[in-house]
Amino acid sequence: MHFDLQTIWAILVTILIAGYIVTDGFDLGVGILHLFVAKNDIERRVNINAIGPVWDGNEVWFITAGGAAFAAFPELYAALFSSLYIALFVVLLALIYRAVSFEFRSKEESEGWKKFWDVSITVSSFVVALLIGVAIGNILAGLPIKNMAIEGNKLLGFVYAEKFPISFINLVNPFKFHGLYGLLVGITTVLFIVMHGISWLLWKTEGTIAERARSIGLKVWLPFVIMYVICTALAYNISFKVNNPELAQKYLQLPPDMFQQIASMLDSNGVLHHALFRFPAIELILIVLAALCAVGWLLAVRSVDGAKAFLFSTLTFLFAGFAVMFGAYPLAVPSSLGLEHSITIYNGASSQLTLTVMLIAAIIFTPIVIAYQAWVYKMFLFKISPESLRREIEEAAEH
Amino acid sequence: MDFVLLVSRLQFAMTAFFHFVFVPLTLGLSTLSAIMLTLHYATGKEIYRDMAKFWSKLFAINFALGVATGLVHEFEFGMNWSVYSRFVGDIFGAPLAIEGLLAFFMESTFMGVFLFGWDKVPKAVHLLAAWLSSIGSNLSALWILIANGWMQHPVGAKVEMAAAGKRAVLSDWWAVVFNPVADVKFWHTATAGMVLSAIFVLSVSAYHLLRKQNVEFFKKSAYIALIFGFIASVGEIVIGDIHAHEVAKTQPTKLAAMEALWETKQGAPVLLAAWADQKAQKNVVEIPLPIPGLLSFLATHDFNGKLLGAKDLQKKFEAQFGPGNYIPPVNFVFWAFHLMVYLGFFFVLLFIWGLAKYKDLENANGFLKVALYSLPLPYIACWLGWATAEVGRQPWIVYPLTDDYGKIKLAEIGLKTAQAVSPLTNVEVVITYILFALTFTGLAIADFYLLAKFATKGPEKEAELY
Ligand code: HDD
Ligand code: HEM
Ligand code: HEM
Repeated sequence: MHFDLQTIWAILVTILIAGYIVTDGFDLGVGILHLFVAKNDIERRVNINAIGPVWDGNEVWFITAGGAAFAAFPELYAALFSSLYIALFVVLLALIYRAVSFEFRSKEESEGWKKFWDVSITVSSFVVALLIGVAIGNILAGLPIKNMAIEGNKLLGFVYAEKFPISFINLVNPFKFHGLYGLLVGITTVLFIVMHGISWLLWKTEGTIAERARSIGLKVWLPFVIMYVICTALAYNISFKVNNPELAQKYLQLPPDMFQQIASMLDSNGVLHHALFRFPAIELILIVLAALCAVGWLLAVRSVDGAKAFLFSTLTFLFAGFAVMFGAYPLAVPSSLGLEHSITIYNGASSQLTLTVMLIAAIIFTPIVIAYQAWVYKMFLFKISPESLRREIEEAAEH
Repeated sequence: MDFVLLVSRLQFAMTAFFHFVFVPLTLGLSTLSAIMLTLHYATGKEIYRDMAKFWSKLFAINFALGVATGLVHEFEFGMNWSVYSRFVGDIFGAPLAIEGLLAFFMESTFMGVFLFGWDKVPKAVHLLAAWLSSIGSNLSALWILIANGWMQHPVGAKVEMAAAGKRAVLSDWWAVVFNPVADVKFWHTATAGMVLSAIFVLSVSAYHLLRKQNVEFFKKSAYIALIFGFIASVGEIVIGDIHAHEVAKTQPTKLAAMEALWETKQGAPVLLAAWADQKAQKNVVEIPLPIPGLLSFLATHDFNGKLLGAKDLQKKFEAQFGPGNYIPPVNFVFWAFHLMVYLGFFFVLLFIWGLAKYKDLENANGFLKVALYSLPLPYIACWLGWATAEVGRQPWIVYPLTDDYGKIKLAEIGLKTAQAVSPLTNVEVVITYILFALTFTGLAIADFYLLAKFATKGPEKEAELY
């Protein structure tokens, strides 16, 4: 790794995405579990109130990660969002329904109304979690993108080579490697998000909801571990081909020594094997740490220790996530058509001046944001339960 | 026109318009609720507590859809305008990212504390949260308008070749932040939010006062709204004037369309009404205001100042950028702009009328009725403003850097809307357009239903819970 501005920004964007998964992740999990841990009206209200004051602030991590990718890696932002057009559209639709479901659900007494928004909460949370995982999996396995500058076009940038509907179907096509990998990572992500939601429910609530959450937690742990192992094993097999080393040298814009290092790993056909495991020792350490934290999570859930469970699910993700980032570095979106068409953190990045300005802003404001979010969390970390909610409603009516 | 381009434009305009149904109320009502809460903690009076609770509940219902549509807005740049995004990302992305980091986190985190913190957090913290959330909303407006202002007047930038093609890069950050166009845009939009919220509060209060329900409560609310609205609406006109002055300097084709000015003129008059024949490049109908040279004065601060007409501008742009149509649809832009201005003057009169009647407001039926039915007008004014700004910019998505009433200073940075669109297929854009349209419309209806339900119900004692 080089500690230049591009690398620092790759780490910062990873941190923002991690911030998103760690914060909004648990409320997505609570959302997915909504229909399963809360069975009657008062329980469902408790379930929503468990994330009520914080979910919107959590979602801002997503917006900021998007904004930071736009500012620091505009080529990446432009190429990815237009390539994954329909998938992203579905995510947006789901996020919209989620946002309004929380707000609308308890504002009307009718059963049908409440039922509709209850289902909407579970479905939309599930879709968001699944598709984020699908997108990450597909990107890691490589997408068919083309650098149009190589073909002589001065304005288009990186363009997806496939057209709709093939482009969309292949994202979840089990017979295409990137689609298969996307599906597997998607399922793993959903399982993780559910676990993280369970951590939160154990921490924030007591009574029936926490009990149901615990028993679901004991059931999802093993599938998650199995899926994580499968994804990691398959990641070991990811490889990319370089068709034209000269173009690669010119267009990937990697620092010369970094390019040499990758070039020296190519076999005689120009294939880079184990693309995500170029530094196996570091990869393995991170993966083992992630697995150990997953075990810690199981023990914490057994003993109904919500705070500890939350810590362990957070760490599980952080280790797994940084393993991914480290493996992909310095590629941002590898091209399955030929590595020379890929977006790297160098050819996708903004100018030095923009990266510097943004870095100063990030250094000043990120700690402030984390500090006040933590402070607000602390303020709202009192336990709630169906009984406490009922009491609160009665007191307000007398007030 | 290319189909993908057409649908992408329609979709962006639709998202923007939906977003801007909810945004201005968030901007202004967050401030109004914070003022009411301050009055409660300062005087200890229960009525202000009920007021803050009542209005912030409406605010919360409105806020959810502001978030939902804003999210789409942000991601649509990459989805539908990928060429634009990669071309300008180096500069345009930065204010968007800072908006998230600096403003959205503050706004939504502290809004959670304000809405759910009643009796749970200390009073000082609660009050601070209300103000921080209001400041956060307005900061978010500032940064997004810095981004938008840059598209109108791309200062602080140069053009270079990069690994994936031509792009604009930052050369002076502070020039982007203190872009005069962006800064007036901010003040104009922030005051628009205040005017809109004041009329919202006034209109809901009028509804109850006409029915003689909760008279004291709504009379007080209306009073706060009248004062707040009067100040904001006067400010709106003053800033609007400065705004038009900036447009004249930096976007001459837009100004020509806003004023239906075909011929280059010294001492140009203001037209009260006009109807243009775009093909023949002249006006069929013209009703000028009988003050000679007023337009020149407003635009250049000189009654004899020279303004370039659309005909000459078209020639000038063709000479520089090749064949094409460089004049936006004149009738549309003229009327969007003029109706906004007329509404701006109407709002000032409305607030003055209300203040004059204040002593006996519950019996001023004439005023109350007008106030009640004025509710849609500030929304319309906001839309008309955006229509002027955005349609008037066409055919450019990034206007070539221009200053001094038509001197083009950096031509290469100009990017036409038609060049900026993503390489998508017809089916994709149609699917997203239709589904977004249905979703937004459905949710907006549900939202209005809930707003109306809680607005007409009046203040009630309820726990702040989901
Ligand atoms: C003048 C004000 C203004 C303007 C012109 C815009 N917005 Fe906005 N936006 C706001 C003022 C605002 C706000 C008042 O701050 C909102 C409304 C509700 C809210 O949550 O914050 C908001 C919300 C909001 C959100 C959700 C934030 C959250 O979750 O808290 C996003 C992602 C955007 N906007 C993005 C955009 C984009 C990409 C725009 C232009 C292309 C845009 N907004 C124009
Ligand atoms: C929320 C208030 C806004 C409204 C109501 C609005 C309105 C519009 C409208 C009507 C169009 C279509 C113009 C046409 O195609 O003829 C448009 C286009 C566009 N606007 Fe805005 N706008 C808003 C804010 C913004 C902001 C803040 C930005 C930048 C950050 C922006 C960037 C764009 C872009 C990229 C397009 C697409 C290209 C184009 O058609 O010109 N808009 N907007
Ligand atoms: C006499 C009063 C007014 C004047 C002189 C005025 C002037 C202007 C001008 C010149 C623009 C165009 C900016 C551009 O093209 O870039 C504009 C835009 C706009 N106006 Fe007004 N305006 C007035 C009243 C109002 C009122 C009453 C509202 C709403 C309540 C409003 C809301 C807007 C909005 C939202 C925009 C778009 C954002 C922007 O460009 O700032 N305006 N106004």
